[in-house]
Amino acid sequence: MPQETPLDVSTPVTVLTTDQRDWDEADETLLESMLVQTHAIRIFEEAVLSLAGEGLVHGPAHSSIGQEGAAVGSVLALRTADGVNGTHRGHHQFLAKGFSYLRPEGMSLVDGIKGDDLGEFTRRTLSEILGLKDGFSGGRGGSMHLQWMEAGALGTNAIVGGGVPLAAGNAWAQRQDAVVTRHEEGAEEVGPLDTGVTVTYFGDGASNIGSTLETFNLASAWDLPLCFFLENNRYAVSTLVDDVTGESHLAARGPGFGIRSWQVDGMDPLAVYLAQREAVEHMRAGGGPTLIEAQTYRFFHQNGPFPGSAFGYRSKEEETQWRHRDPVDRVASEMIRRGLITEEQNSDLAQRIREVIEEIVAGVTEKDPDSERGARRIVPALWPDAEGVDAHLRSDAPLGEVLAGSEEPPEGEGTERRFVDVIADTLGHRMAQDPGVVVLGEDVHRLKGGTNGATRGLAAEHPDRVLGTPISENAFTGLAGGLAMTGRYRPVVEFMYSDFMWVAADQVFNQIGKARHMFGGQSSMPVVLRSKVAMGAGYGSQHSMDPVGIFATSPGWRIVAPSTAEDYAGLMNTALDLDDPVLVVEHVDLYGAKSSVPAGVEEHRLPLGRAAVRRPGSDVTVLSYLNMVAEAVAVAEERQDLDAEVIDLRWLDRASLDWETVSESVRRTNNVLIVEQGPAGTSYGAWLADEIQRRLFDHLDQPIQRVTGREASPSISKVLEGAANADRESVRAGFDTIAHQLGLSGEDRD
Amino acid sequence: MAELITMPAIVADATEAVLASWMVSAGDEIHRGDPIAEVETEKATVELTSEADGVVDRFLVEPGASVEVGAPVAAVRAAGEDADAVERLLASAGGDRGPAGETGAEAPTPSDATENAPGESERSGEGGDSPSSGEAAQRSSPSAGRDHARVFSSPLARRIARENQLDIASLPGSGPSGRILRKDVERALAARQEEAAVPAPAEPGSPTPEPASAERPAADAPAPGYRDEPLTGMRRAIARRLTESKTTAPHFYLSVDVQMDALLATRRQINAALEGTGGRATVNDMILKALGAALTAVPRANATWEGDAIRYYESVDLAMAIATEGGLLTPVVRDVAGQGLGALSRATADLKDRAARGRIRQHELEGGTFSVSNLGMYGTREFSAIINPPHAGIIACGASEQRAVVRDGELAAATMMTATLSADHRVVDGALAAELMRSFKHTLENPLAVLL
Repeated sequence: MPQETPLDVSTPVTVLTTDQRDWDEADETLLESMLVQTHAIRIFEEAVLSLAGEGLVHGPAHSSIGQEGAAVGSVLALRTADGVNGTHRGHHQFLAKGFSYLRPEGMSLVDGIKGDDLGEFTRRTLSEILGLKDGFSGGRGGSMHLQWMEAGALGTNAIVGGGVPLAAGNAWAQRQDAVVTRHEEGAEEVGPLDTGVTVTYFGDGASNIGSTLETFNLASAWDLPLCFFLENNRYAVSTLVDDVTGESHLAARGPGFGIRSWQVDGMDPLAVYLAQREAVEHMRAGGGPTLIEAQTYRFFHQNGPFPGSAFGYRSKEEETQWRHRDPVDRVASEMIRRGLITEEQNSDLAQRIREVIEEIVAGVTEKDPDSERGARRIVPALWPDAEGVDAHLRSDAPLGEVLAGSEEPPEGEGTERRFVDVIADTLGHRMAQDPGVVVLGEDVHRLKGGTNGATRGLAAEHPDRVLGTPISENAFTGLAGGLAMTGRYRPVVEFMYSDFMWVAADQVFNQIGKARHMFGGQSSMPVVLRSKVAMGAGYGSQHSMDPVGIFATSPGWRIVAPSTAEDYAGLMNTALDLDDPVLVVEHVDLYGAKSSVPAGVEEHRLPLGRAAVRRPGSDVTVLSYLNMVAEAVAVAEERQDLDAEVIDLRWLDRASLDWETVSESVRRTNNVLIVEQGPAGTSYGAWLADEIQRRLFDHLDQPIQRVTGREASPSISKVLEGAANADRESVRAGFDTIAHQLGLSGEDRD
Repeated sequence: MAELITMPAIVADATEAVLASWMVSAGDEIHRGDPIAEVETEKATVELTSEADGVVDRFLVEPGASVEVGAPVAAVRAAGEDADAVERLLASAGGDRGPAGETGAEAPTPSDATENAPGESERSGEGGDSPSSGEAAQRSSPSAGRDHARVFSSPLARRIARENQLDIASLPGSGPSGRILRKDVERALAARQEEAAVPAPAEPGSPTPEPASAERPAADAPAPGYRDEPLTGMRRAIARRLTESKTTAPHFYLSVDVQMDALLATRRQINAALEGTGGRATVNDMILKALGAALTAVPRANATWEGDAIRYYESVDLAMAIATEGGLLTPVVRDVAGQGLGALSRATADLKDRAARGRIRQHELEGGTFSVSNLGMYGTREFSAIINPPHAGIIACGASEQRAVVRDGELAAATMMTATLSADHRVVDGALAAELMRSFKHTLENPLAVLL
């Protein structure tokens, strides 16, 4: 007879409520700040909706009206150095964090938001929402991407749940900062760390997406000082939370991940404040992550100045009920009840705030001379210069130069070493030099250096900076992104197989690739992503891709593909010197290859954006990278009819590709063969061929020829895999095509 | 500031002129007023002088190219300026970027994908309606039958053809489906450029140089027993033109023995009379004059083969072979029959003098109906020569030597020369050729006629 006993999920989840005594005991200055901030956010949001109604907000205006209390109550429990990030509905969190940063001592009824710095902050926030050059991100981010790093506002995010892993990175950095600081100060290694904390705000919609749930687990596993602040406003656009989850007590998700959790009335700013204060204490003391579900309500639809009932997914009655619980009124009425203010003073405060905001709006708008109806328009001079459309895509590191350290190639005595050992030693060298280098990925801390040995010895030397991750590529890649955005850490992420980039695609492409540009260059993004290509290893359709062709289409990423161990060290070191995300492509075929590597190679640095001519020649320029360089050279040596120049591209992305070397060669040879191993569909060569034909059309004596694998991803079966990938015979066929098109003896095998 | 030098209007109403040669090289520093090129129109050859101070950045046309008046021919940059300035200038002028390898400064290459200005300029260069563009050349192309046919050619081949005013449609293509490739254009250009420099057929080539020490096999290397010398452009041109001539023009040969005593005596008298004037008539001048007289007498032989027509000429223009250090040249002496021996001698002396100094101009190498080749000075008794197309024939003259002749049944000694005519049977039939040679022989043997 099977027996069943209740499983004790020991992590508590509690409902926190306030009563009149709590309000009576609340600090006056806290309530003053609450009232000023909630009023200010409400009036600001009304101004934004009004501008949206006039068609002056390009894109959506996701109003936070109704939810002000959740953000204000939460932020007031934080220190200025604590970090916050949020989602597309983030004006209230951003404003609260900014006000609190500028007035850490609290805001006063007398001043409201008067004050040059407060006015300037509000003006810059509105400018950003309107897409104007004076915005924090120069108008690039707009309503959904508000970032002010100085104030600890790490950036709001338009991908639902997308900001959650990034917040985990900030939290990891805060805890590591605290550990390092205590270590440096020689303090006792006992007692609470008193770390900084990060709060990531998201909604009920984001509580069901993988990046959030993955990060729940990751933060809990690593005890990160990260608060998951869930503003449950009940609707994901028009979808009711009960429609899409079996457990609508969203706070109940925390204990399943071992996360201390609270549920609180989000319309009660004091309750939120008290819950947040408890959560902060828990985190600063090293208790790990926390979750707060604040039950709240947006008074309007997803975006724009109309109520949700106008769209039929909820009733006016429901809206009226929630409006009776208005958080701004709640704070005001409690203060009036306590005799801290009068009705008139409250109205007067609101009026004064409104005047400040109206003045700001008046400063960015003017009468539209083309309008017959007296409409307003944005003051034209405030738009950003369209010339700068591509600015801040990446750092301005100079091409052709070594970015740090010595330019001299290593000249130490050569010893036979395996390629993969040079990877581990180079990483070890950088970790020893730079306490900001953090290695993370699946199994990187075990198995004597991960599945291939590329991180051998690192965990023993730096146990706190070699992080074996859960199988959650999106979360740990995003965590690396958040780490990098701090500017203090340089994460080195390992993808065990390149195909996993699709699993992490949001963090890789939407977040890491776009962040610097989207936020107007406010933060850099020094993520190094080591990604293994396992073509030929029999791992089949989902473990064999070459990621280069995909990454080349993502503007933020730089790409290096080392073909030799010495180049690996040189390129990895330069990648770690860059403030940009860099994909370092590795091939399993090269890991075991032994070659004579000079001593001191770990310090070797190659200049940014320099290709290597592996074999000079005059008849055709063969462009390749990674393992296929050696194949191309081997075939070039066989040929009697063609004197091929083989160029190892090394740097593959749009910004770093060595056009000087490629152009010089093509202008001389007038023929181009691009050699890669992987399938035609995601081929890098397609992109490269297009660039070449547009830049060098008049120098081409035949179409650009390409060697690629076949259409499908390689199969497990050895013969099918061999047939799917390009091999030496495919390279020979490519050379034959070149020869044939030159009217030489070669036969076109296409 | 970078500037473009343009083709001037040398004579009124001239629409184009040939840039005959460059007198400076890319990278040379030049000053206002310096001669930089020789330009010729149908009527004149003048030196083109620079209107700018600076450094020659690149040439925009090849020597020998016909250029519309006003079109840029060269780019000059200010000292200290880089090639970018010229790139920008050319981009804004919509001009070509100049023949590859002609630039005096390293051409910039885009080093950053976001920095695509050079690419833009290339595109605008491509689209620019330069008056000397290949499209214009193609429109005026005589190959009317192919006007509407799509000609397949590589972008590079088109560019090189355009830069050299070559009608790409006229070329055979060696690529797939007859695509015209770089090598096809280069072959055609080599032919065009060196056509003029082809020496008179069967003239001896430049004396084979003594093997240089570098060509001796190294002591420790096995001697191959032979030595491959790559063909020079001129050698290739000779091979091509003469193979074409010998395989396409049906040659036939007529020899005559000419008694030269009277002619040699007359020449001595003439030269004695010219003593002190600096003038001097050569045997070759008199042979040219005699051939001129013969062609005047037999005008149907004064012709060239034009493929679908035979072209008859009013004046007699003859090519004469001149050996120079740089190779053999065959400048054409105009209107041989219309000028006296003195004028002719001065003309040939001038040609020889300028040939020795490398100052023969392109147009002086074109035209003529017959060539005269003379190996007499080497003691060759007689030989037959290969016609220089599209000439109707060539006369090969051997040595003037004392031979035993029978005169009135008696053996006697006389100075004799054997002259052999190679005639193109498409132009000249046997009887006509024989008539021509009879007249030639008669004039030589009655040298007073030469003086007329």
